[in-house]
Order: sequence, then C-alpha cells, then structure tokens
Amino acid sequence: MPNFTFKGGLKLENPYPAEEIDLIRIPLPDKVILPMQQRIGEQAKPIVGVGEHVLTGQVIATIDDERCAPVHASISGKVVAIDEQVMVHQSGLKAQCISIESDGKDDWVDTSIGCTEHYELCTPETIYNKIRVSGIVGMGGAGFPTHTKVQLAENCHTLLVNATECEPGITCDASLMLAYPTKIIRGIEVLFHVNRAERAIIAIEDDKPEAIALLKKYCKNDRISIEEIPTKYTSGAEKILVKSLLGIEIPSGKFASDVGVLCLNVGTVVAIFDAVVENRPLISRAVTVAGSAVKVPKNFQVRLGASYDYLLSFTDFEEGKHKVSVAGMMMGIELKGTNYSVTKNTNCIFVGMDEKSTPAKAKECIRCGLCNTVCPVDLLPQQLYWYSKGENIDKAFEYNLLDCIECGCCSYVCPSQIPLVNYYQFSKALYRQQVNEKEQNDKARDRFEFRELRLERNKRERAEMMEAKKKALKEKMASDKAQKNIIEAAVERVSSSKSDIKEQDGN
Amino acid sequence: METNHLDTNQIMRQVIYALVLGVGAQIYFFGPSVIVQILLASVTAIIAEAVFLQIRGAKIKPAITDGSAILTAILLAISIPSIAPWWIIVLGVLFAIIFGKQIFGGLGNNPFNPAMLGYAFLLISYPVQMTQWLGEFVSISQGIDAIFGLNYVDSLTGATRLDDVKTQLMLGTQISDINLEPVSQLWINVGFLLGGIYLLLRRIIFWQIPFSLLLGLALMSAALFFIDPSQFTSPYFHLANGATMLAAFFIATDPVSASTTPKGRIIYGFFIGILIVVIRVFGGYPDAVAFAVLLMNITVPLIDFYTQPKAFGK
Repeated sequence: MPNFTFKGGLKLENPYPAEEIDLIRIPLPDKVILPMQQRIGEQAKPIVGVGEHVLTGQVIATIDDERCAPVHASISGKVVAIDEQVMVHQSGLKAQCISIESDGKDDWVDTSIGCTEHYELCTPETIYNKIRVSGIVGMGGAGFPTHTKVQLAENCHTLLVNATECEPGITCDASLMLAYPTKIIRGIEVLFHVNRAERAIIAIEDDKPEAIALLKKYCKNDRISIEEIPTKYTSGAEKILVKSLLGIEIPSGKFASDVGVLCLNVGTVVAIFDAVVENRPLISRAVTVAGSAVKVPKNFQVRLGASYDYLLSFTDFEEGKHKVSVAGMMMGIELKGTNYSVTKNTNCIFVGMDEKSTPAKAKECIRCGLCNTVCPVDLLPQQLYWYSKGENIDKAFEYNLLDCIECGCCSYVCPSQIPLVNYYQFSKALYRQQVNEKEQNDKARDRFEFRELRLERNKRERAEMMEAKKKALKEKMASDKAQKNIIEAAVERVSSSKSDIKEQDGN
Repeated sequence: METNHLDTNQIMRQVIYALVLGVGAQIYFFGPSVIVQILLASVTAIIAEAVFLQIRGAKIKPAITDGSAILTAILLAISIPSIAPWWIIVLGVLFAIIFGKQIFGGLGNNPFNPAMLGYAFLLISYPVQMTQWLGEFVSISQGIDAIFGLNYVDSLTGATRLDDVKTQLMLGTQISDINLEPVSQLWINVGFLLGGIYLLLRRIIFWQIPFSLLLGLALMSAALFFIDPSQFTSPYFHLANGATMLAAFFIATDPVSASTTPKGRIIYGFFIGILIVVIRVFGGYPDAVAFAVLLMNITVPLIDFYTQPKAFGK
C-alpha cells in the first residue's frame, strides 16, 4: 500500500535556502558549446561545418541510433569550432563539441510545422517521433532519451510526474512549477493522448506549498492529482517514488515501465509540451546556481551550452578559490573550476568558497551499521564496502551490489568518513570489466575451439578423401584387372578360334 | 532518519563517558583502586598500540587518538578485580591489543572483542588473581599496596558474589539460605544500565543487542528458576549481578565484533544472554560474559550472511 514515505533515507537541511525561487530569464549567451556525447549511445555526428550559419533550433548533429536524440543549435549564429572539449565527468573525459557564436538575433527555424495544439489529431507514433527529433532527454539528471522511455511505457496505467527535487539545495523544478504550471498540466494531457495511463500523479515535496497551491489551482483535469510527500532525501529516486506513492515495488533489475508506470521529471513534461504543442526543440533548461560563493541562490532559464561563468555573472559572485560541483552535494560530481557548459541534465551548479579545510581522512570501518539504517533500498552498505574493498565482487553481488542506487546516504552518515559509494562504483566498474573480459575470453576460446575443430575436420576430411581415393584406385585397379582378364580371355578365345579355323582349314 | 553526525573518535569518547556512572558506583562501593587499574590499562594500551603500529609500518597518530584502544583498556580494567596485581592488567591489555586487535589489522578488522579476549586470557592463565574480589571498600592506599604488591595481604581478598553463590550451592546450601542481597552489584549494574540508555538515546548503539541479550538472559534464567527454584537463582539475580548490564550495553555492542544486520543483532544478543546463564550456572567459571561474547563472535559472519534484509525489489 502507498504510505507516501519510505524506509531509510535522510532528512537533510537545505544547504542553500532561498527566499525566492523565481525562474530568471537571462539574455542570450554570446557563445554556446554543445557536446555530441549524450547519456547513452555513440557520439552524434555533426552535419554542419565550421563557418556555417545556423538558426536557433536547427539540427546540427544527428545519430543513427533510434534510441538517441539529435542535437540542436541553442542560439542562432556561426559555427566557430568543432573540436574536443572537457566534459562534466569525474575523470575529465573529453568529447567532441560544436561551438556556436551568437549573432544576437535568435533567428528560429520554422516552428509552424508539426502537431501544434491539435495534437489529438496526431498518432502516438508521430508524437513519439516529435519527442525524439526535439532532442528531449530526462531533465532530472539521468538524461535518458525520453521518447524511448515513453514508448516503452505505452501500456502504462499511471503517469508519475516527479517534481521532487533530486537533492537538497536544488530548486529548479520548483521554479519551473511556479513559472509554467499550465505547461505541466497540458504536457501531461499530451502524454495521456499517447499512452493508456488512466491517471497522473504529480509528486511534490511538502516544503513547496506555493508550487502545490499553484498547480492545484491550474489543474482542472480530474485524472491528474497532486500529492505531497515528505521532504526526505532519495524520495525522488524513481523506484522509491513508485513504492511510496503507488505501493508498487519495482523488482530488482526492472524499470518503472515494467510495472506499468511512466515516471517523468517535471522539466521533461514541460519540454514535451514545448516540443509537441509549440514545435520548439529542447534548447534551454532551468538551472539552480547556489553555494557560498554566489550568496543568494538563483534559478535561471538558460540556453544549453552556455558556460557556467556566464550563469555566474548574473549572481553576486565572489571571486577567489572555489569548490565547484554539479548535480548536487550527494550524488554530484566535483569539478575543477567553472570552465564547463550547461547540458541537458545540468540541474544545478554549486559554487562554494574553498575554505582550505583539509578533507576528513577516512578511518577504518567499525561496522557500526549506521549505513544500514539509512539505505533506502535496504542493502548492507557496510558488507558491500568490506567485499568491494577486498575486490571480492562475487560476494558483493550476493549482497545485491547491483541494486545500489548510489544515493550516497551511507557515505553521508559514515562516522569514519569512508567514501562508500566510490567503492561501489569501483566494484561495478570491475564487474563490467570482468564481464567484458569474460566475453572476450569466451570469444577467443570459441575462435580457438572452432579453429581446432576446423583443423580436425580438414584432417578428417583429407583422410577420408585419401581413403576414398585409395579405394577408388583399388577398385579401378581391380576393374582394370577384370578388364584385362576379359581381354585376355577374348584374345585367348580369338586365338583359339583362329587355331580352330586353321584346323578346320587344314581338314 | 535523523543522524547524530558523530565521527568514529567521538563515538568512542561518548562510550567512555557513558561508563562514568557504572565506574562511579564501583568506586563508591569498592574504593578508587579501579582508577589505578584504568590508568595502568590505558597507558599500556597506548604504548602497545604505538609499538605495534610502528612495527606494522602504519600511521601511529590517527590510530592511538581514535580512542578505541583506551576503550578496550577501560573495559578490561573495570572487569577485573580492582585489587588485582598490576601485571595482571598489563598482561591482559597487551594480549587484548596485540592478539585481540593489531594482529588482525587494527581497528575494524578484529573478529573478537579485544577486551573479552584479554579477559578470557587472564581468567584461564591466572584464575587465582582473577577471582579474588573484595566485598568491601578498599582505601586508595590499601588498594595501591595490593596492586603493586607492596604489602599484599591475602586476607584482604575473597570470592566474587557469583562465585560465592556457586560455591555455596555446590556445598548443598539452599538458595533461600544464601544472602542474595546484592546492593553493591545492583547499583553498579544500574549505573551501567543508565549509561547504556544514554548511548541508546544518542543513537550510538542500537536497541537490538542489549534488548535481546537481556531477554535471552532473563528467559533462560527464568526457565531454570521455574524448573527448580531451590537450585537456581532468579532472573532478577542474573540481571542485577555480575557484568550483566556492562555486557548488554558496552561489551556485546562492540560494533566491530558484533553482527551488523538488524535481525542478526537480535540473534547475536539473544544467544549471548542464554550463554551467559548457561556458563554461569553450569560452567566452571564464576562469570560468563567473556566466553559467551567470544563464542558468539565466531558465529557473526554466518549470522550476517543469513540475516540480510530483503533488498528493495528482491
């Protein structure tokens, strides 16, 4: 049964409480850098060249993989570079990016072709395709291509709109709800048209009464309900949300779509509305900028590809040595500096002053078990740590390592300050490596075994052939001999008959 | 859930603070000699730990300042007779730190409770010194004399209460004829109980182990008492005597050597409770906490494996 909350998790203080959570629209950036690499699949291939002029919303890179989305220009202007840039990634990975310099005009591609508000006349396939070509991916942070997710959940019974902020300190979803309540409601109605969901639930944390009131006010559709859930960390994780709101426990290794639930972030719903009804591809998003270096936390609606520095220039930014992280304090990534650009899944940028405090050094695990009590998916983080540390992957799997959602609650409460999640990520990577190696080994072994088999077969076939030839030869020789005998017999006969004739003649 | 956000060092310190009431009661009834034992034990523990870390090539400072060695030392110091000769506690602590903890890789890696390993070692090796207990207050000067052997007076010592009861029962005395009013024992146990409740409230220990240990102990002793009240002491006697509360809240709850799963902790504590009664009643030693805890330490990996909570979606 739904109980609107869940076991474990953490009640965390909002580190950056904001008095106002308005969505601030800022001027166009002078330059954007758009990465070709997305959450899944190969890198997209640029279809524009350096020096080419592009329009806002124009497709500038495509990808053959049907599950992935194309990349659009987020401003109009000139393509100035197509080169490798450092991505937002723990290892400082590089990927190909297209840089566009703005012409300041924001000239759009033709947005009159498409479904418009008469989307009811469009087939679901047309709408799925529209979502795909509009480049929509999960806006909550996961960045999974939305059309694939929506299509998989075609037969779902419930649409769950996740308006719980991923982590404390992030308010971009709240700002979206306050700015576009009708878009959210109408976006849900678009989704009702393409799948069989009987109802939709918008899940909002109870610390956002304004957003709740506003959505309730604008929601005239009785198939849509707005539910408050307690503000508690990891409540926004898909599996946890489905369990606490619908009472359905998604089996290990399965997804929400497998239990008939389509779960989308509220930002994604807005993007679907923009794409389907307004024919505008995904070229901007809401980003929370907070941290001790920016003083007042702010939410910006910003074009994709704009630099962090550009966003920070609209805050009371304090210069100095900074600690930058993206995607939150629990599951986020620490970055070196602010030289990055906003992507489709950049929900927040935290810039704090680096207080030069030496990071707490991890101590030994004393097996206190505090981590067990906060794990929202009921694992034993302490045991997982023990086996991950010893690289005993099989044992870690017996303790359900793969079900870990890497929320970081265990690391957060650990009295020995052990970066537990890093160990789990390491173990998972090790597992993937082992699987790859095994696959390669299997392939190599198969190849080797096949070669052996082939050689064996050749040998056998050759032997059989030789045998057959020998036999044939023998037979031939035998038949030759028989022939010879016949000839000899004939000759004998002839000669004897000749002599008979002679004898007769003689008579 | 709410978290107390203590780090490992603070947890160790909190546990040490929580011992104050129980140790205070010990001092009130038996004199301040226990302080001397605690000091001796702590110094030995720090030196042993530092030397061993040096040999292992590990960092010394973080390990000796984490408070875990001192906690082990204190637990052992308050478990032995407070007038035992100085070399008893020194040997015990050395054994606890070296063979109980460092040899396995230091804090967090020891399968056995180090303090109890030290206690068991002492009890087996030096049964005479380990079972002599004063039923009365010893002044500081008398205590120091006894500890350092300056003026060791045999007549000072006697048997512990649990030992006493056992001996009298063996001699055929009926329970009803034995003086069972354990005032000092009762108050020391109350002291440790209050300290334990403090730890529970601070969420430094979880309720499962103390609760199930006391339950196991009470049920087992109640069963025996029900069978034959003239031969077996009551559950109340078992709860209020010996190291029961110290075991329930401070020794069995040592997280490193205990089970870590919620269900596992209940099983672990429950069987320690049962074993304490069984060893007290039928065993050859007066108190049984050390052996009960050590026996259950062995079973921890097994308990942990079979009491995993059902993971989400499994």
